[in-house]
Amino acid sequence: MGRALSLRVRPAGVFGAAFVARVALVLYGAFQDRALLVRYTDVDYRVFTDAARLLSQGRSPYLRATYRYTPLLAWLLTPNVHLCEPFGKLLFISCDLLAAWALYRLLLLRGLGRRGACGYCALWLLNPLPMAVSSRGNADALVAALVLAALYLLARGRLACAAVAYGLAVHLKLYPVTYILPIALHLRRGAPRPAPPPAPAPAPRRARASALLRALCSRAVLLFAAVAGLTFCALSLGFYRRYGWEFLEHTYLYHLTRRDIRHNFSPYFYMLYLTAESPWSPALGVAAFLPQLLLLSAASLAYYRDLAFCCFLHTAIFVTFNKVCTSQYFLWYLCLLPLVMPQVRMPWKRAAGLLVLWFVGQALWLAPAYLLEFQGKNTFLFIWLAGLFFFLINCCILIQIISHYKEEPPAERVKCD
Amino acid sequence: MAARAVGVQAVAWLLLCEAAGLSGTPAAPAGAGKKATCSEIILRQEVLKDGFHRDLLIKVKFGESIEDLQTCRLLIKQYIPTGLLVDPYELASLQESNITEAVMVSEDFNIEAPNYLSKESEVLIYARQDSQCIDCFQAFLPVHYRYHRPHSKDGETFIVVNNPDLLMYCDQELPILKCWAQSQVAAPCTLKNKDICQWNNMKYKSVFKNVTLQVPVGLTIHTSLVCSVTLLITILCSTLILLAIFKYGHFSL
Repeated sequence: MGRALSLRVRPAGVFGAAFVARVALVLYGAFQDRALLVRYTDVDYRVFTDAARLLSQGRSPYLRATYRYTPLLAWLLTPNVHLCEPFGKLLFISCDLLAAWALYRLLLLRGLGRRGACGYCALWLLNPLPMAVSSRGNADALVAALVLAALYLLARGRLACAAVAYGLAVHLKLYPVTYILPIALHLRRGAPRPAPPPAPAPAPRRARASALLRALCSRAVLLFAAVAGLTFCALSLGFYRRYGWEFLEHTYLYHLTRRDIRHNFSPYFYMLYLTAESPWSPALGVAAFLPQLLLLSAASLAYYRDLAFCCFLHTAIFVTFNKVCTSQYFLWYLCLLPLVMPQVRMPWKRAAGLLVLWFVGQALWLAPAYLLEFQGKNTFLFIWLAGLFFFLINCCILIQIISHYKEEPPAERVKCD
Repeated sequence: MAARAVGVQAVAWLLLCEAAGLSGTPAAPAGAGKKATCSEIILRQEVLKDGFHRDLLIKVKFGESIEDLQTCRLLIKQYIPTGLLVDPYELASLQESNITEAVMVSEDFNIEAPNYLSKESEVLIYARQDSQCIDCFQAFLPVHYRYHRPHSKDGETFIVVNNPDLLMYCDQELPILKCWAQSQVAAPCTLKNKDICQWNNMKYKSVFKNVTLQVPVGLTIHTSLVCSVTLLITILCSTLILLAIFKYGHFSL
């Protein structure tokens, strides 16, 4: 799979084509919004714009129902109100391209040639999913760009800047907070190593745990944690003083305690819907959270050396095992896939087969969900089964990726420019 | 004896006349003869589309041709039960596209809550003249289902939409209004300005007693199966992924 992706065009051509395609979609979206009853623009974009309008009038953006984001986003989109409404979409498109640029630079740092790096970036640039998501006005590209910028700055050794980008990303969407363990373990590698351990005698557990804790307190780790923590706390405190409890509730708590009993891709959806009012509900919530926790810890300890792969695994596990899963979440790990692919040596037929299987899984879920929502048929059991099947497919893909991942950097392979 | 019988009959007749007078339209002091010419207003509620997103269509027809009906405005005050949801932002965007003029009266609403955690709400819809029939008005409101509690046996539950209040306001004092007006209600004159007008609450005859909607719900008999299978599969898969990580990953510190 590594060799197949050298393109014959220059990087500038691919970036240019991606930009033109996205702008064309924005223009088409404006046309469809006006001409047809079914709007192209996502509901979220209207929510952002209404919140930006409230903010520009000096009021709280949380007066807009279902605005569950940081006031920073509403502030960024105030030109929607003063200049023109598609401003936000153009901002998200720019973040898309920025994310792709960070991907490109990271791939170059890993030893790929320009054409090879460009080939992998095309998986993000010319992929219809991120194109559609950004041109419809969803803000996920913003977080993707910040996460990739943080990874790039970490690879370049600019810890403080990386920490600021990371703190911002966590403030915008909470899921990158899981990366803190692999980042800390990764940064600790630069710390002076302790004396090599004696011959294989299994160290007592307490000694290993304390060694880990000491190792985590290296200078780099402390610097990163301090700057990221400061960024996050400064933003949170500032907004809390301005907007009060509403800010905490909508920006953080809602996402942490979100129990959406309405139908979604998650395998837990039907279980949570049926037990929503039962006394078992909190216990089941914890039971659903434990596999996530366990897998994330194991993935951090096993793969922290390759930060991009570790973060990809983290997010893929997080999204697959989450209690709520909508199609926007896929973008969170899709942005890291081009970074990971050069080292996942899978025969392309198998990769294509897994991709087709992934789409089939989605289609099998969308069919009964459509029947429920737009035809009123009772297809809850089918939606649940399709959700479980999609979950199984995702786990299968994860296991395939883990088993085909090779740790040596691509620079040692023959370059195919 | 005969006098008493006559007296009882007279009282009975009197009571009957009174009863007839009460159940009829409110006493029009200007001659009972006008009562006979009061026709009824017919109201028909329909729900279009299928699934969780429906359209409520209300059609009002005046029984007889009324002059100067163009100077009158009709306002429908629809009570929305807890099982239904009206999105005020959707109403605002429909108003911009000039499809319908409706506004929610209730302030407190949660778009995502299930029906058992929601309250009833009220919507004011400014009806429009129907071009297809004379002396007809129609109003349109998009509604959405909320999620309901799962049931133990049937996979469906019902939402009942009651008949709305029909309010009318005419620029001039039309005598025919007295046929139907029951009381006065204060409400905004139009959607755009904040002036309050005194609308007449009109009596009408409805084609259906109410509208019943069927909502699909989960079945609680599935609970143990769903919980056990879901947890089994998620724990199994997480174990498999964990094994893969231990097999192929490098654990070292």
